[in-house]
Amino acid sequence: MNDPSPLVFEPTTLQLFRFSAATWNPHLIHYDRAYARMEGYPDVLVQSHLHGCFLVEVVRRWADGRGELRRFSWRNRHFATPGDVLTCTGHIVEVDGDLVTLELEERNQDDRLCVTGSAVVALTSNGEDGR
Amino acid sequence: MIPELYEKCRSLVGVSTTEYLGRIELLATQRFAVAAGAVQCPGPHPLFLSSVMGWRAGPPESELYPDGTADGFVPGLPLSGVRLMGAGQDLEFHEPPRVGADVTLETTVSDVELKTGRSGDLLFIHLRRRYTSADGTLLTTCRETFIAR
Repeated sequence: MNDPSPLVFEPTTLQLFRFSAATWNPHLIHYDRAYARMEGYPDVLVQSHLHGCFLVEVVRRWADGRGELRRFSWRNRHFATPGDVLTCTGHIVEVDGDLVTLELEERNQDDRLCVTGSAVVALTSNGEDGR
Repeated sequence: MIPELYEKCRSLVGVSTTEYLGRIELLATQRFAVAAGAVQCPGPHPLFLSSVMGWRAGPPESELYPDGTADGFVPGLPLSGVRLMGAGQDLEFHEPPRVGADVTLETTVSDVELKTGRSGDLLFIHLRRRYTSADGTLLTTCRETFIAR
């Protein structure tokens, strides 16, 4: 069983706007640059939950068709803004029967750790991974 | 401001509030998946339930705080003048939510901590949220900490 393939996300102000709209999140810090600067940030901030979506996407694509997501957690460590290049990686850390635990990370273009996470996937019995 | 909020929060520890959120609409789940950059997401995305901030129309603009936010993160806790940050979630997926399901949310303040950081007082509000469908099926449990400053 291989580790997930890394994914690279480059969030834009357009993506942040649509994510705020889709979650009905009115917080100015995600779409008003002047407000974000007033709070001391260089630009509008990627939503905490969108970071979560980036990390879980690594797991979703890896598990594609051969398992179900049972647990997922993430912690925001450092903010990200549009223009950042966010690389999300995952590693298998434990296999217990059908349960696979993965550790996840998101780092920016300066190798700064932005998000950590973990996931537990229950493999389905008809998986074609040669077990 | 934060110490007063801490006292108010402490009185809410262990208190559970249940509210009907609404029906999971297909279009809303599809828009979420597109905005999240998710590929091949036929059902609701796993983070959909715990990411949506407003299930209702919400208050008019005149009732939003200057940063655009509204009350409601913590039922019974007014957050005027406080900056609230989410810092991640712990999610357990029990049953996948289905489009058309009527979702009820039970929010419990599980703990609250007051910490003094370099930039002043910080309040850590730990919540447990349980999302269930109308027939009582537990869908998702979300544990989340908000930092208020």
